[in-house]
This record gives sequence, C-alpha cells and structure tokens, in this order.
Amino acid sequence: MSEQTFNPPLPQKTVLQTAAQKAVPYLAAVIVSFLVAGVFIAAMGFDVLKAYETIFFTSFRSLNGFVQTLLKLIPLMLHAYAFTVPLTAGKYNIGAEGQFLAGAIGATAVGIVFASLPPLVLLPLVLLGGILAGAFWGLIPGWLLYRFSINEILTTTLFNFVSFNLVDFIATKVWADTAAGHPTTIAIGEGGWLPLLVNRPPLHAGILLALALAAAVYVYTNRTVAGYDLVATGANPRAAKVYGINVRRMFILSLVLAGAIAGLSGAIEVAGVQHRLIEGMQSNFLVLGLIIGLLAKGNNLAVPFVAFFIAILEVGASAMQRTLMIPVQMIFIVEALVLVFVLMSDVIGRRRR
Amino acid sequence: MTDETIILEMKGIYKAFDQNQALDDVSFALRKREIHGLLGGNGAGKTTLMNILYGLYRMDRGSVLRGGREIDIRSPRDAIRHGIAMVHQHFLQVETYSVMENIVLGSDVKHPYTMNLAEERHKVSELAERFGLQVDLDAAVEGLTMGARQKVEILKSLYRGVDILILDEPTTNLTPQEVDTLFESLRVMVNEGLSIVFITHKLREVLSVCDRITVLRNGKNILTLGRGEASEEAFVRAMVGEEMNVEKSIFFSKGKLGEEALRVGETPVLEMENVHLTRSDGIALLKDITLTVYESEILGIAGVAGNGQRELAEVIMGVQPPSGGRIRVRGVAEGSASGDLLRQGVAYIPEDRLHDGFLPKANVATNLILGFHRQPPYSRGVFLDWNKVFETARGLIREYNIKTQSPADAGGNLSGGNIQRVMIARAFSRPAKLLVAHNPTRGLDIPSMEFVYQKLLEGKKGGMATLLLSEDLDELLLLCNRIVVLYRGEIVGVLPRSRFEKYEIGRMMSGVRTNV
Amino acid sequence: MSESLTIINFLKLILLTMVPFVLAGQGTMLGGRTGVFNVAQEGIMLVGASVGFLASWLSGSLFVGMLAAMAAGGLFGLALAYFTTSLKMNQFVIGLALFFIGLGLSTLLPKLVIGVTLTPPLIPTLQDVPIPLLSKIPILGAIFFSQNWLVYASVGLSVLLYYLLYKTSLGLALRAVGENSAAADSLGISVPRMRYAASIIGGMLIGLAGAYLPMVYTGTFTENMVKGRGWLAIALTFFGGWSPHTIFYGSLFFAGVEVLAYRVQVIGSIIPYQFLLMLPYLATILVMVFTFRKSRVPAFLGQNYDREKRVL
Repeated sequence: MSEQTFNPPLPQKTVLQTAAQKAVPYLAAVIVSFLVAGVFIAAMGFDVLKAYETIFFTSFRSLNGFVQTLLKLIPLMLHAYAFTVPLTAGKYNIGAEGQFLAGAIGATAVGIVFASLPPLVLLPLVLLGGILAGAFWGLIPGWLLYRFSINEILTTTLFNFVSFNLVDFIATKVWADTAAGHPTTIAIGEGGWLPLLVNRPPLHAGILLALALAAAVYVYTNRTVAGYDLVATGANPRAAKVYGINVRRMFILSLVLAGAIAGLSGAIEVAGVQHRLIEGMQSNFLVLGLIIGLLAKGNNLAVPFVAFFIAILEVGASAMQRTLMIPVQMIFIVEALVLVFVLMSDVIGRRRR
Repeated sequence: MTDETIILEMKGIYKAFDQNQALDDVSFALRKREIHGLLGGNGAGKTTLMNILYGLYRMDRGSVLRGGREIDIRSPRDAIRHGIAMVHQHFLQVETYSVMENIVLGSDVKHPYTMNLAEERHKVSELAERFGLQVDLDAAVEGLTMGARQKVEILKSLYRGVDILILDEPTTNLTPQEVDTLFESLRVMVNEGLSIVFITHKLREVLSVCDRITVLRNGKNILTLGRGEASEEAFVRAMVGEEMNVEKSIFFSKGKLGEEALRVGETPVLEMENVHLTRSDGIALLKDITLTVYESEILGIAGVAGNGQRELAEVIMGVQPPSGGRIRVRGVAEGSASGDLLRQGVAYIPEDRLHDGFLPKANVATNLILGFHRQPPYSRGVFLDWNKVFETARGLIREYNIKTQSPADAGGNLSGGNIQRVMIARAFSRPAKLLVAHNPTRGLDIPSMEFVYQKLLEGKKGGMATLLLSEDLDELLLLCNRIVVLYRGEIVGVLPRSRFEKYEIGRMMSGVRTNV
Repeated sequence: MSESLTIINFLKLILLTMVPFVLAGQGTMLGGRTGVFNVAQEGIMLVGASVGFLASWLSGSLFVGMLAAMAAGGLFGLALAYFTTSLKMNQFVIGLALFFIGLGLSTLLPKLVIGVTLTPPLIPTLQDVPIPLLSKIPILGAIFFSQNWLVYASVGLSVLLYYLLYKTSLGLALRAVGENSAAADSLGISVPRMRYAASIIGGMLIGLAGAYLPMVYTGTFTENMVKGRGWLAIALTFFGGWSPHTIFYGSLFFAGVEVLAYRVQVIGSIIPYQFLLMLPYLATILVMVFTFRKSRVPAFLGQNYDREKRVL
C-alpha cells in the first residue's frame, strides 16, 4: 500500500497544486460513498437530506458541536498515528486498542496510587504512566518480532483481546467502583486531571498534546536522520539492511513508539474525560484510527486533516442517531466505503497513467 | 537443412508500457527448421516481442500469422494450442514440485482423480532420451542445478508437442561446457522438425549457432540476415547504433586492454583469511575463503549463480557476519557493520538491485544517498539537509544520465536500467578505496555497459580496488587482472590474466579443481 | 452445560468447539493456497453470525440461515477477489476494509431488521444428530458420533480438501497458482479463475463458521460475539502450515484451549477468570513462537499477479 514518498519541502505553489490534485479523488470518493449510502438510507424510509445535513453541520452549528468534534479528534488522531508511524517502517500495528487500554490502565494506576500528589507532579506522572504502559504493550509484539520473527499483525491484534480481560480484572477486582453498574474503577486523584482550556462546554488540554505530537511526528519522520532510517526501512527493509540500517531495531522501535502514542491517548482519555478506567472506553477508536491511517495512505502529515474529517462525521452520526433514529453504524459503513473508493481511485489513476 | 517455408510471422507489432514505446512497428518471420537468433542489447524489445507471441503480453497493434493464417493469441494457453512454447530467462517453475509435476502441470492428464502418471512419465522419459535432456523426474526442482532446471523447461515445452520453441537468454547461468551441450540439443530439435527462436545479447552465440539473425534496437527492426550474409562488424553496428564509438569501446575490445589499464598496485586493500559462513541449519555457504585484492586491481569472481557469490559480497560488506575467519579492509579490523564500511570508503553495487539496493517507495534523491545519509554534507547533527541532498541528486542525475522527471519523483517510476544507473551513481558518488560490484551491468544496454566499464577502469586508475562478481564470464575475461572461481562456497582456483581460458574456467565452475 | 468436567464431556466439547476453527481455517487456507490472503475473517464471521441468525429467525429454519450466512461470506470472498485479482489492490488493506464493513454490517443489520430491543429474539440451537449404531459404541460413541451435523461436515470437509489438494490434477494446479502464479499462468492455468473460486468458496466457509456461533452457542446475535476467533483462524493457518490436515489438528488444539478456559472458569479456580479467558490468545502467541518460522507458506501468499508487470 501507500505510495508514500519521502516528501521534502517543495516550493509553495507546487504544494498547493499537488494538494489540490490529491484532493480530487478524495472528494469524488466521499461523494460516491454518500450517494451509495443515500440510496440505502432512502430505501429504509429515512430522510436522506436531513440525515446528511445533520452529519455534516452538527460540528459547526454550535460551540458545543465544535468542542465535541475536537474531543473526538484527539483519540482518533492518536490512534491513526499509532498505525501510520509503524507503517512508515513497514509494520502494521492493529493493536492500538490494546495499547490504548494499557495506557489507560497505567494512567489510572498512577492516578489512584498517588492520588494525593499535587497536580504539578501527578498530571505528568499520570501521562507518563500511560505512555510507558502503552509502550510496553507495543514492546511485546515488537520483541516477538525482533526475537522470533513473528508477524506483528497477528500479535498486536491478539494482545487487544488480552487487554480487554485485563481491564475487566482491574475494574472488577483491583480498584472496582462497586457503586457503578458497569465494570469501572474508582476515580483518580484530582491532581491527575487535565486542565480545561474552555469551561463550558468543557474542552481539556489534551488537544494541545495531540497537536504537539503531530508536529513531533512530522519533524521526526521527514527531517531527521533517524527518520530517514525509519522511512528507508519501510520502503525496502532488505535494501535498508544492506546499506547499514539496523532494520530489526527500527521495527521494534516503531511498535514501541506506536504503543507510546496509543498509551498517551489512553492517558488523555483517563486524565481528560473519564477520570477513571471504564470497560469499553476504547469505543471503536481502533477501527476509525485504521480507516484514517489508510485514507491518509500512511502519510503522517495528512493524518490530522483526515482525522478531523472523520471526527466531523462521527459527531454528526451520533446526532443523527439521536434525532432521526438512523443507527450510527450506517456512518461507519460509509467511512469504510470512502476508504474503498479512495483506494479504487488509485487504481483508476494507475490505469490512466 | 533449413527450408524456406515461413511457419510463423509477426507483422507491424506495436507495444507500449506507460509512456515507453517498447515495440515500434516490429516484424519478424520464422522459417521451418531454423534457429533464428533474436539479437539486441537490454531494452531492445526482444523479450517483449516474444512474450507477445507467447500470449503473456497483449500487443497494441499488429498481427500474428501461423502458416499464413492470422491467429489470435490471448494467453499462453492459446500459444501452446498453436504449437508455441517459451522458456523464460527466469525459469517459471514451481520450486516445491517434482520435475514430473512441473512438466504435467496445467495439461490434461490421463487420471486426473488419482494422479497416476505412469503413462505421462513414459512419454517424458522418451523425450528426454531422444533430445539428450535426462533429468531425475522425481527430484524436487528447487534442488536442481540451473542446467538441469533448463532441461526441465525444455522438456515441459516438448511434452506439449510444440514445433516452435522460444528460448530467452538460455546461456545465462550455464558453464561453457553446458552451453555446448545445449547447442547440440538444439540441433537435434531442429533436425526433428522444430523451429527455434534464440534470444540473446551475445553476438558470438548467435554467430555460432543461428541460421538467421534478426537485430532489434530500441524497439525497432534493424536488420534480418543469414549468418554468413554480413560481417561481424555489421551486426555490432546494428546492435549499438551510430552514436557509440565501437573502435574505442572497451565492450568490443575483445580483451585487448592496454598495459596502462592493467597496472596493479602493491598495497592490499581487502584481505580475507579463512573466512567461513555457516547457515543456522549447519549448511556451509562459504568455506575457507582466503583472498587479497590490491590497490588498482580488478579481481573477478566467476561461478555459476548461487555458488556463494552473494554471501561473499555480503560478508565483506558486513551485511552478514562471517562465522569464522578474518576480513580486513585497508587495515580496518573485521566485524564492521555495513554503515561503518560505507563511511570508510567502501562502495557496493548489490546483485539484486530491486531487493537489495533500491527503495521503490522513496524518491530518487532519497535513493541516491542511501547508506551515506548519516554523513556530511547530507546530514547536520540529527537533521537532514534536504537542500544539499537535492543539489547532489540533481548533479548525479545529470552525470549518470538517469531518466527521471525530478529528484522528487518516486523511485518506483524508474525503469530497470535507470535503477541500475542509480546503483552505480550511488556507488561512485563518494570517493571509494574498495568497490564490491555484483553483476553491475545486468539489465543495461550496450552503451550503458560501456559506461560502467569506463567508470570501473577510471576508478582503477585512481587506485580503487574492485571485487567484481559477475555471471557474465566475458565481462570478467575483459576487465579482470585475476579471476577467482567459486564453487559451492569454495575457491576452486585462481587464474592470472595470462592463463585466462574459457573452457578451463568452465571446468572449474563445475567444480573440477585445477592445480594453481 | 453444568455437568462436571468428565473426560468424555471434555472431548465431546472440543469436537463441538473445533467447528468454527476448522471452517474458518480451511476457508483461509483455500484462498491462501491460490495466493489470496484473506484477513477479513473477523468481519466475515461477524456478518455470517448476524445474517445466519437473522435469516434463521425470519425463516424459522437454521438451514436457510446457514445458506444465507454462506452467501454473505461468499459475497465478501467475491469482493476480496475482485479488488485484489482484478483491480490488483493491496490484499491486506482491502482485507482490513472488508473487515470494517463486516463489523459495521453485523450490528447494523439486526437493528434494521429487528429494531432496537432490550430482549433480542432467540433461535433454536442446532441439535445433536446421533449416528445410528456408531453412537451406541461406549465412550467413543458419545464423543464422536453424537454431535451436531456440522461437526461431521467439518471433518468431511477437511478430508475432502486434503484429497482435492494433494491427489488430483485440479489440486496440483491450484497449489501451483499459490506457489508461483507466473509459472501456472505460463502453462495455461487461469490464475484469476482459480483465485476467484478459492476466495469465494473460502469466504462461504468463513461465513458459515460465523453462523455456527449463534446457532450452537448462544441462540442469538450479540455485538462482537466472534471475540477474535477470526484472527485466531489466521494464526491457525500458519500454525497448520497451510495444509488441510494440519489445520484440522490445529483446530483441535485451539478448541481444546478454548474449552479449557471456559470449563475451568465454570468449575471455579483460584486464578481470576479474566486470566483464563486470555488463554486462547496467549496460547496462540506461544504456539506461534515455536512454529511460525518453520511454517511453510505459499510463496505467492498475499501477492497479486499481474501478467504484464515487467520484472525490472
């Protein structure tokens, strides 16, 4: 996949031109997907126009809608990076879900054990706990790949299922909040909560962390020598090895980085939104993250923009379910269709060339 | 012997790949019972033309006539039905299957639900007997030598009862002795009524075995003549065109390099002592390799492909650590990783350019600095200096005549020959004391080969030591000061230039030791 | 199922539990043997479970449900073949996209067909069909010959596939496509036809594997009820070396671990049940540590074949 090329800075005009050229197939794919889905929605007796109006404009009609979109954007973006960063090295990480939960567990554990510490100390610790726990969850498949050459696709996936049970264990046996009707832990210390940027509607500071991460990923992969190693490994591991790059180290590094990013996402979700570990808090972030990463064709620079688009759809879809009773899964399928059509537009492009 | 009846004709064939016009109004006629040489450098369109005939490629325009009647070939199945078979340069065989299974694959067998192949086996044995193509029918193909695998390919074709056989560069990977045996088999086939198309880029081969010769260049017909109808010079000129200076070329110099070009220094640059390489399952890939390459020397490594050449190159380059022995480069201790070696002035042209040397998903500039990217001027501390990288890349693209739109173009868009130019440009882009070059001219047309030879000799003049591993024996005989012959990971002999003799080397390539 | 854990019961349960692994494993293997590497199992099984359940509920017949699940799975197989064999798109990426679509469809369909309810309807589960005479054999009869008919069918399927692949001319051609598509093509074997057929039939088997879950275990469809069995099926094919007989043995092992995890949980043990439930995944990874590198994989697995693509 991913005709990702190592794109150094180009003169301004060309950037705009290529961006415009690249946007065309995306737009076409989006339009076609919504047309296809519209036929089904209409066939089921719903009002298509109203549904689409809700989907596209909920994010922009009120401050609340926009903040909801930004809040959605954080985990989606980070889950997408947890996929595209290892993909830069040619490795497929399908384990962001597990790494996210590991991060949430790590953050919660730190937040509960050291609950009384002041914010200045506790918040960084909570975040670090999440990052390290996530990185560890990425390290295991990385190590299995490094040591035994076991395909990372399967191991990262299987560790998701392991993490579900681990969450259940911690939320029911270790720090269970018995008052909640659902497996949940007690809350972390208030010092571990992310400060709010906007009070009403509440927008926590996680968005700043996510944007900082986006910048860091870009600089790392496109501007540094270490990033060159990562990209070369992904472009052709055999050639990279022949020319002196330790590709197995790159593989393990890429999965650990992915784990750390997903772990950070888990920590942000705990510190910023839930303030505790809740079973099922992973939602469908994994799959949405994969869709975003694939839509971006592995291009780290494109991830925030695609993630924002998907966040709009997701927020709109929830509103659509509330007001029009159209199941949210409808939109999920539309997103998958957009992906298929975008991939198909490549084929058409290839044939025309 | 040949009769004049034309049994197959291709007329006005056009074929383009993307923007590249591979065939431009090419015509070709095959007579009954002839061996017809299809001669040309790499990229001339020979294989493309025959792949069209065999139904693997669809032509854009043109017609194919069999016995005067137009036929439509859409797939290999159609080709076989019309009595046409093709043996590709890279054998199309199922490695894990036995010889017998490979031969009957895809044909209608007598007992499809029990796979009792007694009858088919009988037929194959008979064919093998008749044409001198004996192989063990129960052996798995992956364990066979290249020579035996070629026999399997030819048997596959004969088993299908074809009367036109296309052979694509059939002498690659054969020893000179095996080449002679092949030529004898071809004569038997022609006597039995077959017609053969013999694709090659080696003039000497067509002159020794073909009845008629068609020369292609840049996808166009240049000439078709009987073997005796023109001088060797005429064929050479037809192959390379007018631009190339044949008289001054190294390629056509027939081994007569001047004194100056053959001078060798006295300082050892690469020293290997008792180097071993053993695979994890205990199989020895390199055994007791001891050799020295001196300053300004070109040391050739000859051998049939797969006898340890790749491993030898990779052990020297630090890609694989040796299991034992010592390797010293200019006195630097052994055990240096590949990256360090590149920094110390060792250049490498890997054998398999696509897998071992190229990043198809990265752009051309990125490819041109692979391995050197940690060094100034390309990097400053932890950051890369893209401006500098692009400046260098533009220079190399110009100097090495790499056909690409810009340094930012994806590497995957380059053609095979241009990828090889990237390999060469990269290897020569930094001053090198040692060059390890593995099949550096594979896939290049003749002017480009000439260019590489000039670069090698230029480097040599400047004191560079070269280890030239090549499957093209002619190339080694042309350029080397000494030739080392490798067989099953062992050195079977070292010959100085004064003792270069093709059949002698051929014997050694098949494992016969000679007293040195 | 509250009887104590007798050996007989344990073995009988293993055979019962092996079915989805056998079906999904063989389905994956069949496509893979022609070079089409399906990674959408989890999604296809979910769709199979959802469609199988809904069709059974609507028609009142489990058999109709199975056919519907197979048809749905076959459609996914067809889509996979079209995108990869005809359009030459990356197999893994398309597999993921199909997984997403399956995941979404499996929960969307019940909502559309049944509506949102707190008490989803139930379908009758598949009955055991004791084989006359054979089921009367002491011990063996209870273990092997008193099962539902899909257990027998999955054994039969494994035997049939083994015969087809290794003892027939068609099998020779089919395996050749997965080992070297170019070689097969050069001998007149139609690579696309082989790949389409294997992918579609493989998809049908995977769909049926999904339908087994509501029809035998739960009587209803619940979200994400496949619980990673689709991914385990991929691991199983590697573990089973892409051969029908070894995949069958592997299924027994996978089923054994699953039964063990659930049964020990029922009996009660000092280990928290959550850790027992991790067992199938951890055991799979452990097994891969020992077998992954040795496993022989079809050489063209996951690779599209483009006749006109020139070797550079």
